[in-house]
Amino acid sequence: MTSPPELPPADGEAASAATAPSAIAGAPPSARQTQKEATRNRVIEAARELFDTQGYQGTTIREIARHAKVSVGSVFTTFASKYEILSQVMVNRLDGLHAEFDRVTPHLRGSTADRLRTIFAVHFAFEVRHKRLFLAYIAATYDWTLPPTSTPMGRNRRLQDVIRDCLEKGKAEGDVSPDIEPQEIVDLLMAAYVWIYRLAAWHDADAKTMTAIMDRQIGLIADGFRVR
Amino acid sequence: MMHVATIQAADQNGAKAPTRRALAKQQTRAKVLAAARRLFSEQGYEGATIRDIASAAGMSTGAVFANFADKSDLFREIMITDMVALGEDMRAAARHGDGADGVEETLLRIFTAGYAFYQTQLPLARAAFSVGWSPEDGPALRGSPPVQVLRGLITEQLARGVDRGELSQDAQTALRADMLFDAYLSNYPQAIFENWNLDSLQSRARNQIGILLAGVRKR
Repeated sequence: MTSPPELPPADGEAASAATAPSAIAGAPPSARQTQKEATRNRVIEAARELFDTQGYQGTTIREIARHAKVSVGSVFTTFASKYEILSQVMVNRLDGLHAEFDRVTPHLRGSTADRLRTIFAVHFAFEVRHKRLFLAYIAATYDWTLPPTSTPMGRNRRLQDVIRDCLEKGKAEGDVSPDIEPQEIVDLLMAAYVWIYRLAAWHDADAKTMTAIMDRQIGLIADGFRVR
Repeated sequence: MMHVATIQAADQNGAKAPTRRALAKQQTRAKVLAAARRLFSEQGYEGATIRDIASAAGMSTGAVFANFADKSDLFREIMITDMVALGEDMRAAARHGDGADGVEETLLRIFTAGYAFYQTQLPLARAAFSVGWSPEDGPALRGSPPVQVLRGLITEQLARGVDRGELSQDAQTALRADMLFDAYLSNYPQAIFENWNLDSLQSRARNQIGILLAGVRKR
């Protein structure tokens, strides 16, 4: 995995740790910073593997440190909490997915329903190998032993934006009813989508199965937004 | 109608005269459950430990474990009690007006009964979502009989709509019921994280139901 671009620190503590003076204004990174960056990446990579195989609750910071071959102390100087590691893992993954969206979106054809089907098919194909990770992220949203740091799941703004754009385009082209409030459709689609993840994780469905169920659900939702 | 049978069976068990020892055990369980409910509401599922629960109930950790296998067992018991009560509220809401006002209004009353039920205990609802999404406990919670009752209630309304000619024969009832149930659940985060009130939840649910039934509504 390539090193992430400058990431906004999630809270005050992390901010003070991360913002060494030389990090500002494009100064060349010091050896210490490079070291820090390397630790950060190792921790993220190790955490991704462990969350994926044994779940979020089942993974301790100590195990992450061991797996990343760094000290527990250096994990804590890099991240404020286990949840912060999880959100960073998810942010990195979503960056890859969004690049995929950017590639695919200009080529979308057909009815609004078909375009939506393609968007979700891309999503499932991209994420299917990491269902447990995804579920862990959703579950962690509701866990309030956590500091209120990161984007709650299900408000993946970027995915919602892609869907909303698709609906607005449908309105402009006349196959989506002008009376429809796009956010309501977005929410219904997101509900269907996260539910399919859960099904997939419990029954080990593959991307093809997930896509097939989603296609039917999109068809049903499209009955509600189509111009008639 | 499996759920009705289940509820009746539970009543019959309760009606049997319990021995003194059984009564004491029941009281202990009730105390633990009350303490657990409070702590889950205050600290979430992950934050509340068995040790804290025991101490809040004024008993030893051992006494808690004598009654419940583990924390998830304890939480499941609370959830199931609530879901049974919620199922009754929803059923009453469904019966109200004898469905004369149509499937959409009936479904909306069912959903609203749910939101009203959890309005005063949103922290517990939040804990339930946390558990419901966990790979370990999620399937058991979603598959538990009282949750199936809630889903069944939605399926029933769709079937009645088809019978009465309000919805077309090809209503894909099972899929549609699942989607309606998920739409119902999907509004909880707005209540939990964004303080939506009952009116906002209701009006959102009304539109969702409208969208999900649009394809099968006969006009």
